[in-house]
Amino acid sequence: MALGNKKLEDLLNPISEQLGHANVADNVEMPEWEFKAKRVTDGLSAAELVDLFESEAGKIRVTAKRCTKDTLAQTIAEIVGAGVPDSGDACSVVCADEEAFAEIGLYDALRASDKVTDLHVWDEQAGQANVDKAYVATYGITYASAGIAESATIVQPTSAKCGRAISLLPLVHIAVVNARTIVPTMLEIMQAYAASDEKLPSQVCFISGPSATADIELVRVEGVHGPMYVNYVIVE
Amino acid sequence: MSILYNTEATLAERVDECLADDFKHNAIKAAQEAFYVKRGELVEEMGEGWQQLRMHAMEVRNHVTENLDYYVKQFAQNAEANGCVMHYAPSGDDALWEVLDIFESHGATYAVKSKSMMTEEVGLNEVLEETGIKITETDCAENILQTAESKPSHIVVPALHFNRSAIADIYREKRGYDGTDVPEEITHFLRKILRHEFMEAEVGIRGCNFAVASTGSVTLVTNEGNGRMVDSFPKVQIVFVGIDRIVPDLEALDTMMALLPRSAVGAKMTAYFSLDSGPRGTGEVDGPEDVHIILMDNGRHELANSEFQDMLRCMRCGACLNICPVYRHITGHGYGSIYPGPMGLVLTPGLVGYDDIDNMVYACSLCGACTEHCPVSIPIHDLVRQHRINIVNQGKNHKIEVPIFKALGLFWSNKPIYLAGMKLGAPIMELLGHDGALDASSTWIPVVKNWTSTRDFDILSKSRFRTWFKEHKAEQKNTEGGEQ
Repeated sequence: MALGNKKLEDLLNPISEQLGHANVADNVEMPEWEFKAKRVTDGLSAAELVDLFESEAGKIRVTAKRCTKDTLAQTIAEIVGAGVPDSGDACSVVCADEEAFAEIGLYDALRASDKVTDLHVWDEQAGQANVDKAYVATYGITYASAGIAESATIVQPTSAKCGRAISLLPLVHIAVVNARTIVPTMLEIMQAYAASDEKLPSQVCFISGPSATADIELVRVEGVHGPMYVNYVIVE
Repeated sequence: MSILYNTEATLAERVDECLADDFKHNAIKAAQEAFYVKRGELVEEMGEGWQQLRMHAMEVRNHVTENLDYYVKQFAQNAEANGCVMHYAPSGDDALWEVLDIFESHGATYAVKSKSMMTEEVGLNEVLEETGIKITETDCAENILQTAESKPSHIVVPALHFNRSAIADIYREKRGYDGTDVPEEITHFLRKILRHEFMEAEVGIRGCNFAVASTGSVTLVTNEGNGRMVDSFPKVQIVFVGIDRIVPDLEALDTMMALLPRSAVGAKMTAYFSLDSGPRGTGEVDGPEDVHIILMDNGRHELANSEFQDMLRCMRCGACLNICPVYRHITGHGYGSIYPGPMGLVLTPGLVGYDDIDNMVYACSLCGACTEHCPVSIPIHDLVRQHRINIVNQGKNHKIEVPIFKALGLFWSNKPIYLAGMKLGAPIMELLGHDGALDASSTWIPVVKNWTSTRDFDILSKSRFRTWFKEHKAEQKNTEGGEQ
């Protein structure tokens, strides 16, 4: 048979034949599963889940801080103000375009900070310039859609208001997580997406700590291609 | 590269070379121990939940295999509905053809790639480079291997066979690195030089850990973030998906993800896990504009409904490598396959057949540690044994085996010959050996040297067990009688 330009049937037919199926079934019912796994988070209260999220964050080298809606802007400004090693004098910040951020006055607080040399709020009209800003930024700030207690993971969907670059290119990622959105395991997130009628975002990124590698002699090094430092700010 | 490599050397030659490299197998041993300990802690923490997860993962994966045609079709249709361009590759060559076609239609000549076993399987890099397309590996270890023109020795940490100063030298020579041998400094140098490439490349090439049939999504599990760079900035993205990567729905994806990072690196989650459903959405300014999915079979369907069907559950975590005593010594380079270790012993002949694999399936002691550790309960050592049975049944074993086993059968089933042999054995061995053992001094004897060059072989006892047992019983009776 000639190479390339194969149709779906060319891929499916040998599989069906191997399985002894005359043709591909129109519908396959999922069976009743026999096993359901017990998870370490079973039976934890909402408050305990937040505690677990925070303690697991510590284990994966994330700095976690708690605050309230009223102190959120101040808390973030303090993190940015504290600086990070080797980042030089310039301190540029790229931020997701979140209503919640505008509402609590985050953008104003950052502009008012004498540490911040440049603040860029994600703007779909600006196109590639957003990515260019993120490329040189020290801090990227996003609002996670949820947190996962078991593994201290934050759930970061991509949208027109929050590009992939914000949580990826800057030296530091600051992720805001609402305590009420912290769920026990990834299963609850998956179930919520499965139950939703909306199309999945082009990307949902599950982030658990700084970018890391152990490729050279198994020595752990943080900050490979993504952020070297990750902060979670838990809003209660 | 294709599935097999370095086949100009025999298995024995490759193994000898690996055994002689102390740095290499000590590095592998250290990796095994580190992953083993970390995995063990997490498994213990989950208690009975771990076994339940394994059993559930097995039933889910089996269900997909039994209905593989249905789920492949469902995934393909949903991915297409998400706006991905589907390319179907019954064979590896079909996949290469499609990739070249994609480069041509986009007029692209520059690609960045995050680690993907499927692309290794078809030898993608070599083919692209031959046509003048620049392709950069972006995983740290893969970049080290590409720069050094070397091959992976471990599937999770592939460049362990180089020490830090060798790696620093490679970059000094090829990329103008002028820093120290400290891993952190070398890694941050890579961050600097590769960052630019992610932004410049026209095409991003990546693999897929699990493909979700119900949503048409592909996923990528990474720690370094190179996978995210590859799928965020190049305008065109090519995703390699094996037909054995499919899970039915998002809930099943959670089950697999509860098992994969724990089994692979002993972590609850990797730094990044992305669930991708089509090209960038309206108003999004990063992410690929065009997503091409290469859905590839390349021999996998033949495992379905066969004695090796269980292997289609494999999620390529490497847990079996991390526990294998043979792998620990011969390392990934001994096997001569891009799929090394226990899983490789089952998968490699499953995909390429028995003719070109040398004695690979005998590089296993059948201890079963791999089976016990496998997160999806593949009876790996049973399948290795099944390959051996098939090789014998197909007459592809070594021709000398048949007369040897016939002779041994005769020896053990004929009492006078057996007794004579046992009587002669001890004095002959004594003549050849020293201090009660055949040791390294006997390596001039053909066949026997294969054992005695590395281990001593105890000399047969002159007295027979039955004689000893009779005496022992009589002695016991006397003692007991005396006590009464």
